[in-house]
Amino acid sequence: MKTSSYTAIAYLFLAPALILMGVFTFWPVGYNAYLAFNDYSIADATATWNNFAHFKYLYGEELFHDALKNSLLFLLVVPVIQVAALLVAKLVNNKLPGMTFFRAAFYIPVITAISIAGIVWLNVYKYDGILTWFLQSLGLIEEQINWLGEPEIAIYMVMVFTFWKGIGYYMVLYLAGLQSIPTEVEEAAVLDGANAWQRFWKITVPMVKPTILLCTLLSTIAALKAFQEVVVLTRGQADTYTALYYVYAQAFTNFNFGRAAAAGLVVTFFCVLLAIVQFRFFGEKK
Amino acid sequence: MKLKPFLALAAAVFAVSAANAADKVKVEYWSNSLSPKFDSVMKDLTAKFNKSQTGIEAVWVDVPWDAFQARVVSSVAAGNVPGLVNLPKPWMDQFAQQKIIQPITKQVGGFKNVYTSGALKDVTYDGEIYGLPWYQVTAVLFFNKELLAKAGVKEAPKSFDELLKTARVVKEKTGVAGFAPKLNDGFAGWFLYDGLPVVQNGKAVFNSPAHVKLVEEFKKAYADGVIPKDAFKMQFEEQIAAFGSAKVAMFGEGAHALKRTQTDSPKVYAQTGVAGFPEGKGATPFGGFLFLWSVPKGFKNVDAAVKLGQFISNDESQLAFAKASATFPSTNKALDDAFFQAGAKSKDPVEQATAVAASAIKSSRTLTVSGLPDEAAMNQKMNDEIEAAIVGRKPVKQALDEAVAFWNSKFAAGK
Repeated sequence: MKTSSYTAIAYLFLAPALILMGVFTFWPVGYNAYLAFNDYSIADATATWNNFAHFKYLYGEELFHDALKNSLLFLLVVPVIQVAALLVAKLVNNKLPGMTFFRAAFYIPVITAISIAGIVWLNVYKYDGILTWFLQSLGLIEEQINWLGEPEIAIYMVMVFTFWKGIGYYMVLYLAGLQSIPTEVEEAAVLDGANAWQRFWKITVPMVKPTILLCTLLSTIAALKAFQEVVVLTRGQADTYTALYYVYAQAFTNFNFGRAAAAGLVVTFFCVLLAIVQFRFFGEKK
Repeated sequence: MKLKPFLALAAAVFAVSAANAADKVKVEYWSNSLSPKFDSVMKDLTAKFNKSQTGIEAVWVDVPWDAFQARVVSSVAAGNVPGLVNLPKPWMDQFAQQKIIQPITKQVGGFKNVYTSGALKDVTYDGEIYGLPWYQVTAVLFFNKELLAKAGVKEAPKSFDELLKTARVVKEKTGVAGFAPKLNDGFAGWFLYDGLPVVQNGKAVFNSPAHVKLVEEFKKAYADGVIPKDAFKMQFEEQIAAFGSAKVAMFGEGAHALKRTQTDSPKVYAQTGVAGFPEGKGATPFGGFLFLWSVPKGFKNVDAAVKLGQFISNDESQLAFAKASATFPSTNKALDDAFFQAGAKSKDPVEQATAVAASAIKSSRTLTVSGLPDEAAMNQKMNDEIEAAIVGRKPVKQALDEAVAFWNSKFAAGK
C-alpha cells in the first residue's frame, strides 16, 4: 500500500472523532477566544471589537484577582492527591483477597454525582455535623466549627472534598501504569536486597513517570477549573470564589459573555503555562 | 382498506389541517418547572384558551428551572423564540436590562389594573411594563409553639424588632436558636424590607447609620446564638430541616414549605403556629416572590402573545392554578376569593398559613435590587462584606463602607 493512501485511510478513521471534537471542542474554544475581544449582545446577536476592554477590566477587578488567587491556591491539592493516589494504587495492586472491594470503594466517589456528594459533605461540614462530632469525640477540638463558613479554612475543606472525589480516578490510572511494570524488574530488586521503600522510589516511580505526567496534568487542570465543588458546597461564600465561578457568574448572572470569555481565556493561559512547566519536569528528555 | 384511497384520504386530512394551522398564529409558551406536578391544570388552561380562539393556537412547553435561563438566552440568540416565557421577577429585571425581553406597556394598558399594585410594580422595569403578573408566594412566620411557651412568649411577634426580641428570649430560656433569617441569597432584601434604600440616584447608599444599625442587630443576634451559626448556608431545605428538628424556633417561608414538616416531623408540625410575617418599614412582608409572563425579543406577534398571557393571568385561570399549587394569584379579584380565607379558622397550620398569607400578599413585593452594571460581582462583594460583619470578622461600618465603595466604583465604570 502506498503511504499517501495509508495516510488518507488513517484520517478517515480519525474523522468521526475529529469531527465531533471540532464541533464540540475546537469551534467553541475558538469562538470563545474571539468573544473575549468583543462586546457580545445576545439581544441582537452581534459582537463588536472592543480593544481589549475586557482584559483591562479584569486587570483592575479585585474580585477576579481574588478568584484567580483561590484557583491557584487550589493547586495545593495536586501533589497531595497524586502522591496519595499512587500510594493507594500501590496498595490495591497487591494480590490479596478483598482487593476488588477496596478498588471499587476508592472509585465510588468518582462515579457519584457531584450534587449528591455535595449534600452529603454539607452534612459532614455542618457546624454541628459529623466532622465536628468526630473531632470532638476524639478530644481534638472543643468548639463547634463552621467548616465551610470560616474564610481561613473553607477553601481547604473544599479541597478535601475534591481530594475525596478525585483520588479514585487517578488511582485507576496509576493502577494501569503499575500493572505495566514487568514483575521481573521488581523481583530482581528484591534479590538485590532493595527494601520496599527503595523499590518504590527507584523502580515504581520512574517506571510510572509517564502516568505521573498525565495525572499531574489532568489534576492541575481540574484544580484550576475548580467550580462544581464550589457550587455544591459554598457557592463562593467564605472566600472560596474561584476563577471559573467568576466566569460562570459573568456569563449567566450578568449575561456578559465577552467578559466571561476573556476571564476563561486567562484561566486557559494559566493552564497552558503550568502544562509547559510540567512537561519540562516530568516529560521524556530527548 | 386499499392503499390508494387511504393515501388520498390521508393527504386530504393533512391538507385541511395544514391549511387550518397556517391560518392560526402559533404561540408557544414556556412555563418554569411546573411539569409533571401541574400538567393537568396547564393542559386544561391551554385547551380552554385554544377553544376560545380562532386565530391563535397556544402550545404549552415546560422547561426545568436549571435550564430555563440558558434556553431563553439561546433561543433569543438563535432567533427562534417562544411567545411567552415564565420568569421570576429578578430574572425579568436581568432580561429587561439585557433587552432579551420586550416591553409590553402599550399592549397591557387596557387591563393592567386587574393586577395587584405590588405585582404591577414588580413587573415594571425602568418605567416600562415587561411582564404579566402570574402566581406569587409570600413568607408567613412559622413558630414552634412549645418552644415559645417554654420561653414564656404568648403572642407571635408583630414587628421585626419584636421578632428579634422574641428570638432572643427563646434562646436565653431554651437554648434553641430563636429565628433563622434567610441570609443565603444576600442581604439586600433585608435592607429593602426595612425600608432602607440600597441604591439612590445611581449611587450605593447602604452605609448610612440606619443601615449600620440594622446589620448591627443581626450581628448581635448572631454573636449570641439567637440566629443559627450556619444561617448564611441555610437554604430552603436546611431551614425546614432545622425547624423540623426543633433546632430553630421561628422561620419565614411560603405556606408550601410546611408540607415537608407535616410529613417529616409530625410532632413539630402539631406544635406549629402561624402568623403573618411582620411588615418592615418597607411596608411589605419578607419573602415575596412573583412569577410573570414576558415576551422574548424577536417574537413577531406580540399582540397574540399578550392575549394568551392575559388569558393565563386572568382571574379565573389564576384561581385555578393557585388552587392546584398552594400559591397565590396576582389579581385583586382572584385574591378576594373565599377559597383563600377558608382556612383562617382551621387548626391545620398549612391551611391557616394560606389564609394569613392571602391577606398579606396584596402589599407583597419581590425584594430585589436590579439594573446593576456588574450584578454578579457587586452582589458577591456586598454579601461577603456583610457576612464578615455579621459573624464579627469586621466592624460593620467598615464592611459596609468597603462594599459601598466597590459598588460605586462599578457604577462609575459602568457609565
